[in-house]
Amino acid sequence: MKNIFRILLIFFLISLFNSCYDELPLNKDLTKRSYIFLNQDSLAVSFPEIIKDKITVIGFIYTHCPDICPMTTHNMVLTEERLIEEGIDDVLFVALSFDPERDSPEVLRKFAEIRDIKFDNWIFLTGDKITTEDLLRRFDVKAIPTDSTFFKDETISYSIMHTDRISLINNKGILKQNYKGSTINIEELINDIKYLREDK
Amino acid sequence: MNLILAILFFIIPPEDKIKINDPWVRPSSEGMATALYFTIENTGEEADTLYKVESDISKRIEIHETYKAGDIMGMRKVGMIVIQPISSFQLKPGSHHIMVMKLIRDIPIGDEVEFILYFKRAGEINITAEVKKTAR
Repeated sequence: MKNIFRILLIFFLISLFNSCYDELPLNKDLTKRSYIFLNQDSLAVSFPEIIKDKITVIGFIYTHCPDICPMTTHNMVLTEERLIEEGIDDVLFVALSFDPERDSPEVLRKFAEIRDIKFDNWIFLTGDKITTEDLLRRFDVKAIPTDSTFFKDETISYSIMHTDRISLINNKGILKQNYKGSTINIEELINDIKYLREDK
Repeated sequence: MNLILAILFFIIPPEDKIKINDPWVRPSSEGMATALYFTIENTGEEADTLYKVESDISKRIEIHETYKAGDIMGMRKVGMIVIQPISSFQLKPGSHHIMVMKLIRDIPIGDEVEFILYFKRAGEINITAEVKKTAR
């Protein structure tokens, strides 16, 4: 009987330890491969080198999206504002476009500027199609072009079905958590960021 | 008698059955898209239908809805929105919205944009939407 009690106690302590340790359950190392992108200034940058030693919030967007992606972007802006209010200004915010065909560096810069986003802690990234798709797979983000609209000037616009995603990466380049970008609980993200800062 | 009624009609117009509350639009740039949101309140005893939206800001404006398929979000055109009697319908982020494509100019935060909403019963309703960055 005593042995059974001891075994149950050990299981209880192990599960208690695990529940504390696994506050952020993902553990995907993003440092194994490098990807070259252009930032909003048309400068070539390498991911994940640009996020090295930084806790990073990354959102996946395309600028022709009228509804979901602006919500995702705005949630990242709100998160940054809340962090700065609390004296935390060392978190990096990255917006990666999954529509490289239309989202040139200039387009991304304008998308940010019209929303009053400052580039002190923000990087907007666009790349070639293959590189973008490769990195999206690392994050398990899907982006599928869908309905097209034809305009009288013979141009075409299309929308993209996509995963609604913001991800949190620790300062060692490890993906730690995924969230729904448009409806994220900002409090939860901020608490997770604080947890990672303490866990450095 | 008819003349008197007609004069009264112009002096005291019938109460609007359709009211548009809190219209706002997201900031966006020339050539890009944006979304218009508002709440339609139908105080009448008959249903009404929003079927078209126009504005000088764009030549292509459609009624859209955002939908979810598994963990993927998409967007599709809907032909119209029916507002039942004594009820309201909210066009809001992540749901129904007015898709405004290929803007002819920048619309920065704080700007205002005019739209004409077309209803089957209420006819044309002019609104002015403030450009805001509100997410939710």
